[in-house]
Amino acid sequence: MNILVVGLNHKSASVEIREQLAFSPSRVTEALDRFRRCFPSSEVVILSTCNRVELYACSPKTSSEFTEEAIFDFLAGFHGIEKARFRENMYVYQDLAAVNHLFFVASSLDSMVLGESQIVGQVKEAYATACSQGATGKVFHQLFQQALNAAKEVHTHSKIAQGKVSISSVAAEFAEKIFQDFSDKTVFIIGAGEMAELVLKSLVEQGVRAVMVSNRSYDRAVALANEYGGKAVRFDSLEEELARADIVISSTAAPHYVLHPEHIKGAMQRRKGTPMFLIDIAVPRDINPEVGKIENVYLYNIDDLQGVVSQNVGERTREVEKCRAMVEEEVEEFMAWMEEMKIVPAIARLRHHFHHVGKEELERLRPKLGNLSEESWQEVVYTMERTLNKLLHRPLEVGKEEAKNGGGYRYVETIKKLFGIGHHQDSSPENR
Amino acid sequence: MEISAYSPFWLIVVFYLLSGIWEVGRLLRPQGFSKQWADRLPFVAFGLHSLFLLYLASRVENIPVTNLFESVVFLTWCVVAVFNGVEYLYGVPSLGAFLFPLVTVLGFWVLSLGDNLLSAPSNLSKFWLIAHTIPLFMGYAALTLTFVLSLMYLTQQRQLKHKFFGPLLLGLPSLESLDRLMWKTLSFGFPLLTLGLVFGIFWVKYSNILGPQWYMDPKVVMGTVTWLVYAALLHLRIGVTMHGSRVALLNIAGFTLVLFTFLGTFFLGAQHGYKKVSKEDTMIIKGIKE
Repeated sequence: MNILVVGLNHKSASVEIREQLAFSPSRVTEALDRFRRCFPSSEVVILSTCNRVELYACSPKTSSEFTEEAIFDFLAGFHGIEKARFRENMYVYQDLAAVNHLFFVASSLDSMVLGESQIVGQVKEAYATACSQGATGKVFHQLFQQALNAAKEVHTHSKIAQGKVSISSVAAEFAEKIFQDFSDKTVFIIGAGEMAELVLKSLVEQGVRAVMVSNRSYDRAVALANEYGGKAVRFDSLEEELARADIVISSTAAPHYVLHPEHIKGAMQRRKGTPMFLIDIAVPRDINPEVGKIENVYLYNIDDLQGVVSQNVGERTREVEKCRAMVEEEVEEFMAWMEEMKIVPAIARLRHHFHHVGKEELERLRPKLGNLSEESWQEVVYTMERTLNKLLHRPLEVGKEEAKNGGGYRYVETIKKLFGIGHHQDSSPENR
Repeated sequence: MEISAYSPFWLIVVFYLLSGIWEVGRLLRPQGFSKQWADRLPFVAFGLHSLFLLYLASRVENIPVTNLFESVVFLTWCVVAVFNGVEYLYGVPSLGAFLFPLVTVLGFWVLSLGDNLLSAPSNLSKFWLIAHTIPLFMGYAALTLTFVLSLMYLTQQRQLKHKFFGPLLLGLPSLESLDRLMWKTLSFGFPLLTLGLVFGIFWVKYSNILGPQWYMDPKVVMGTVTWLVYAALLHLRIGVTMHGSRVALLNIAGFTLVLFTFLGTFFLGAQHGYKKVSKEDTMIIKGIKE
């Protein structure tokens, strides 16, 4: 068997190229069908996400048409683009390297954001789609299940997926440590920037319902407020509304502080001391840092949040080596299985050969024994089978052991020579 | 009471110590301490504790508060019982990490007194003893939880103010939920405290056990002061909707009073509570009982 992966990802190709080669969910099934028509004996899975497009294929070693060039041609043909356009962005891995690659991808060690959890789902889905199209066989079932298993191992037994790694999720995490129930909390956005919206989004995911937006340009405030079913507030009436806000996200382009301690002190008085969470993601800062000293007020600026992000990214990176080792263990397990697959047909033939000889000998023996009772004859048959199985036991054990250590091929060759089996009716690819 | 009765409690306290170590470990290094043990250790500790309490109760044929040792065994049991209730109802992360060390310290403290025998008068009415002590002990237990939650609140607040983004911040509950729980345990503990005190007054009036000057008894005075502090705290919380660190600090102050009322007053040598008893006295008491 020959496993091949051809693909490109965020490291090897720009988004312009990736989007040209991407498969939409509906076209994946079409592509799988077409691929199987081109290479009928192959197994195939297509993984297409926004960061990578990869085609995993596996075929009997001897099918000569099954080369990387052939797959490039297939991709070019399917997407109707010239091969030269993406040729140099492509990577090709074979056998062990291909298996390694898939396991790394599934475990999110190859992802743009290390340890992200989406990719596992995407690999699972790619595999399920291929299964439903009948494009997978014994090898890919084992391969993908083992890859998903590796991903699970890595995620549960390492810190690779721990700690938030974006500004908005870190902000939301801090918010979670101040407030318990978000459904009765109000978020106040001051200055409707892109980052502010991201933070808002992750807070809305936590359950925040009430949103207020204030912006120098009132229209922009109204637009954003409408998007979240919130209320637009005029910039000059900002102070009056402040007391109603539990969480303030400030990101104006103002060159000076917009919120001063006296604003917040006033608001806190009206709030009767209920805690307030202020997120200042503007540069230069919008909120006077003195505000952070007020009781029950928690002020975070962009550096505080970025600091946590960097810390978490660092922690994930430190886990990579450990994860690599875990993945390699799984890869080894799969490769051992592959080797075992190589010896399975040979073992079956060896067993068949032994029992065939035994049967012949028994047939020769039967007439010579005269009128032996059926019971006694069965005893003879049983003894013969027992002897053969005993003789076979060690060769089979050794075979499995050899396969595990990568000596499957040599083993098959040896038993072929020793017992003269497998030269004509052999269906195993290695033996052709 | 004989020394031998201490030995099972040593074991129980050691289990609480291990529970504490495990919970603190889980809070600071979640990977290093398995959840299974964090669940099992307190379970075993509380199971043994309950059995031991039943044994003590059967020995004195009353609720086991006839001496300081028994009272601490009973109080710590109440504390862990209320803790279990809170855990069951609200599932507060890391509560055990703060509570078990406290229980352990109380346990070791009373064990360290050794045979320093402190006993309550033996001729107490069963009915009034139950009516007076059970609400009080449960009330104290609830207020202990309020205290522990306050410590957690102040710890979490410190993490947030100083932006320490570490296991402590992630392991502790949110300020809002701690604030709510402080409030809940307080409003559970306060009525019980009141009830216990009211029964105490009835008792003292009814049987005159503290003499005519009963209101000058240090424990009565301290109990009243404690009650007033918590009443003021509740009033502030309801009336002014005060949140946060000030409530937490007041809770801690209230708890110090509780501790002093419960354990401290016996140093004053008052009749209420526990006195040093000589071996002969114990024999006599036992003799009378038998």
